[in-house]
Amino acid sequence: MYTSLTNRREFLKKMAIMSAMTAAATMFPGILFAEEQEKNLPKGGNLDWKKAPCRFCGVGCGVLVGIDNGKAVAVKGDPKSPVNKGLCCVKGYHSVMSIYGKDRLTKPLVKKNGKFVETSMKEALDLIASKMKETISDYGKDAVSIYGSGQWTIPDGYVASKLFKGCIGTNNVEANARLCMASAVTGFMTSFGIDEPMGCYEDIDHADVFVLWGNNMAEMHPVLFSRLLDQRLKRGVKIIDFATRTTRTSMAADKSIIFQPQTDLAVANAICYEIINNGWVNKAFVEKHCNFKKGLTNMGYGLEDKYNFNDKPEGITFEDFKTFLQDYTPEKVEKVSGVSAKDIKYMASYYGDPNKKVMSLWCMGMNQHTRGTWINNLVYNIHLLTGKISEPGNSPFSLTGQPSACGTVREVGTLTHKLPHGVVTNKEHREFAAKIWDVPAENIPAKPSYHTVEMFRALDRGDIRFMWIQVTNPMVTMPKLKRYRDACEKEGRFIVVSDIYPTPTTDIADVILPSAMWIEREGMYGNSERRTQYFEQMIQPSGEAMSDTWQIVEVAKRLGYEKQFYYNEATHIEEIYNEYRRHHEGNKHAMAPLEVLKAEPGAQWPYVNGKSTKWRFNAEYDPACSNGEQFHFYGNKDGKAVIWQRPYEPAPETPDDDYPFWLCTGRVVEHWHTGSMTRRIPVLHKAMPHAYVELNPEQAKEMQIRTGDQVKLTTRRGEIILPASVNERGVPERNQVFVPFFDENMLINDVTLDAFCPISKQPDYKKCAVKIEKV
Amino acid sequence: MKRIGIISLFLILFLAFVTVWNVSYLEGREEAYIPVDNEQPMTLIPSEIGVFERSKFALDYANMPVDENHQRSLETYYDNRAFHGAPPSIPHPVASDRGMGEDICLKCHQNGGFVDKFDAYAPVTPHPEMVNCRQCHVAQVSESLFEETNFHKIKAPEVGINNALDGSPPIIPHQIQMHENCLACHAGPAAPKEIRVTHPERVNCRQCHVSNNKEVRDIGEFKRLSNYDD
Repeated sequence: MYTSLTNRREFLKKMAIMSAMTAAATMFPGILFAEEQEKNLPKGGNLDWKKAPCRFCGVGCGVLVGIDNGKAVAVKGDPKSPVNKGLCCVKGYHSVMSIYGKDRLTKPLVKKNGKFVETSMKEALDLIASKMKETISDYGKDAVSIYGSGQWTIPDGYVASKLFKGCIGTNNVEANARLCMASAVTGFMTSFGIDEPMGCYEDIDHADVFVLWGNNMAEMHPVLFSRLLDQRLKRGVKIIDFATRTTRTSMAADKSIIFQPQTDLAVANAICYEIINNGWVNKAFVEKHCNFKKGLTNMGYGLEDKYNFNDKPEGITFEDFKTFLQDYTPEKVEKVSGVSAKDIKYMASYYGDPNKKVMSLWCMGMNQHTRGTWINNLVYNIHLLTGKISEPGNSPFSLTGQPSACGTVREVGTLTHKLPHGVVTNKEHREFAAKIWDVPAENIPAKPSYHTVEMFRALDRGDIRFMWIQVTNPMVTMPKLKRYRDACEKEGRFIVVSDIYPTPTTDIADVILPSAMWIEREGMYGNSERRTQYFEQMIQPSGEAMSDTWQIVEVAKRLGYEKQFYYNEATHIEEIYNEYRRHHEGNKHAMAPLEVLKAEPGAQWPYVNGKSTKWRFNAEYDPACSNGEQFHFYGNKDGKAVIWQRPYEPAPETPDDDYPFWLCTGRVVEHWHTGSMTRRIPVLHKAMPHAYVELNPEQAKEMQIRTGDQVKLTTRRGEIILPASVNERGVPERNQVFVPFFDENMLINDVTLDAFCPISKQPDYKKCAVKIEKV
Repeated sequence: MKRIGIISLFLILFLAFVTVWNVSYLEGREEAYIPVDNEQPMTLIPSEIGVFERSKFALDYANMPVDENHQRSLETYYDNRAFHGAPPSIPHPVASDRGMGEDICLKCHQNGGFVDKFDAYAPVTPHPEMVNCRQCHVAQVSESLFEETNFHKIKAPEVGINNALDGSPPIIPHQIQMHENCLACHAGPAAPKEIRVTHPERVNCRQCHVSNNKEVRDIGEFKRLSNYDD
């Protein structure tokens, strides 16, 4: 966008073109941007640009990878992708550098006498298969388990589930997405009876107000946040940052509202109170499309082994709900939450205004919460009471953190209770899956076994003896990490780890398998807006690295399941995807055919009659609606969504005299997940070389702590020393500290608490009590 | 024999005395010495304050035509500073030498604009909240020096060499304390032409551009605590 002012007539002409171009640019943010980026590339280069979804977060940006002589050398945003429209973030632009770290694992390693020894792929796979057989015969099939992640491609997760649930016959299949979005799932399931957002990213182009619930979007979902900023420049939308700490997002927002940890439950109820009290309820919508329910309270926090909880939902009336909300007047909630009644009313007024379209966005703040399911329910309550749901711009939107948390863990169902279609507790669902998997229906146990935290506890106790960990790094991410690290190192445990670099998790492995990463293989990811995206193999895997899918297939064959794992090595991804699609046939969840995924920048399920579905439950857009009304919440049998009565309950461990601070953990824009990939990208490592503890500036002064000083953090689990950060990236409130978790050399999870939401079993990494001392 | 015994006893006592005296003398000296802590930690993570400060003008910047006859260049930008990172001097006569600056400076330097008198666009200050302008910015009224200087001006960052990959967003090659506000220097008619951003409407600059701290400390590459090759 460059014009010269040298000639007046020329200038006027250019101005006209310019304004047309600017209009186009703001209408399609980033499109011109990607072209501009290309201009900066060396001329005459022989780059071959191939499309893929980005390797990192759950936004699922379309990227174009430049391939030169069999090496990935450049990245640009895909202008054709409706997700990012040509823009990426700093991680995406440098993503291909994460393939070429010097210490890439290229050969299988077996631990012998405490040292890793190189071996051949064949021997390593033989050893894994024989260990699995041995464990099953000695301890039973529930002694073997697989732990994957939301970075599993769809085929990876599918073959894992088929092998363990279908063939071996154990529900010991979990994924790190349990630590990341399980509460979002149970939130959807309890409110709507079917998982994943009803809306899509296009809601951003329609909404007038954005409320970010504990979501530092400017750093964690920067590309989507840039779409919000674009809309603000263009249409003057409002961005409200509702959070516990001041971040980059607060700096960018129109209004920053700070609340005390855990009290989002109370504030959400207060907003509902205001909506009802001011007569802002969309009565027609609520009467036609909603039920009211309550569940059990005082559920506990899952801190003890073998903790079990089953909610008992009970119908209530609108009047009951109103009475319940009497405890949540803005004035009463002001006292617990620290949010002024004025600010509560301010937020409620936007939700209540029938002329304003509101989008709520959240991610880990609401999901990593001991009442995660509840807070998800409560935000849906607000949208349901006002009828602001399932239409362009009116959208409660749950973001995800991993590229295929939705696509693989939630849709393929790599959680202990799930099947690709439905749940293991349902006989019909088991029979349906067994038929496609070509196994006897009795193979699939009807009872879920262990969720992630309990799975590692079972490993500690010895109930689980064999664990295969793929594409994730639990020895950095598990809360109360020390217990689970010790568990892995116990005698008589056999741990297989498939990864691309040495990590604290490969450190505790008995066998390490080198995995082919991202574009070194073929696969699909599914992002937060139900978009499935395909990527082809663009480069050769490093050394002997093998895709996670094929590792599992090879082991399955060795275990005697050649019949079920009939796939041909050259075409297995296509065969697996086609088989997987059969699980989702029907208007509610149909997946797009592979040809479509190959040709287009992804497709959103339900993909019916050659069309993606942008807004579910809305008859105008969603072909699965069948009740003749404008909305149909067909996930529940009665076609209605549920408004839940969920109270405020305190966190399990709150600051006291001995441990007077709240400890919150999270991420930074430069590093993704545990940093095993991004820290090997020099640009990102140099920008963010290590973890730190953020302190409140006033309090730091009182304690005579300056940036860089060593600070000891002590919780009931242990202690850790970190350099202080005062007035840098984020600014916590008084009596609160924040630590990013990416740094394997400073493991903050050694001191976090393994309390979890009793319904979703997702741990809360955002709240525990800590003592702070200068050392 | 007896004599040798007595002599050697005294010899041993003498040597012991010398040793003990020496050790205690050295210890005494050590106590008197207070080591200076050289490890002054440096700020590596830039503050977020001000990043979005001028973003409300972003679309104006994007729509602004470029006045080619009145562009600043990086060369003149650096010429006006004693060294890279030093506060620029005031290159024009000022009305009064009495005030600290404040509104008189901000009138032109808060938002910029064309100044007929100097036939140039006024650069925009990245820190308009600091109003004692002339605490750091002084006029250059004489061309001559009191005595020559041996001061060595280090090389300032260059443009076009800060990308890790072809076409990837350049890193921030300079420290940004007190100029966290990117658009102040990188957008608008007074921005040096080499560093004027092509996309001022993308206001979350640090989504793509991260600092690399090489001016403070060479961070090197990521190192694990354990290594399988050892």
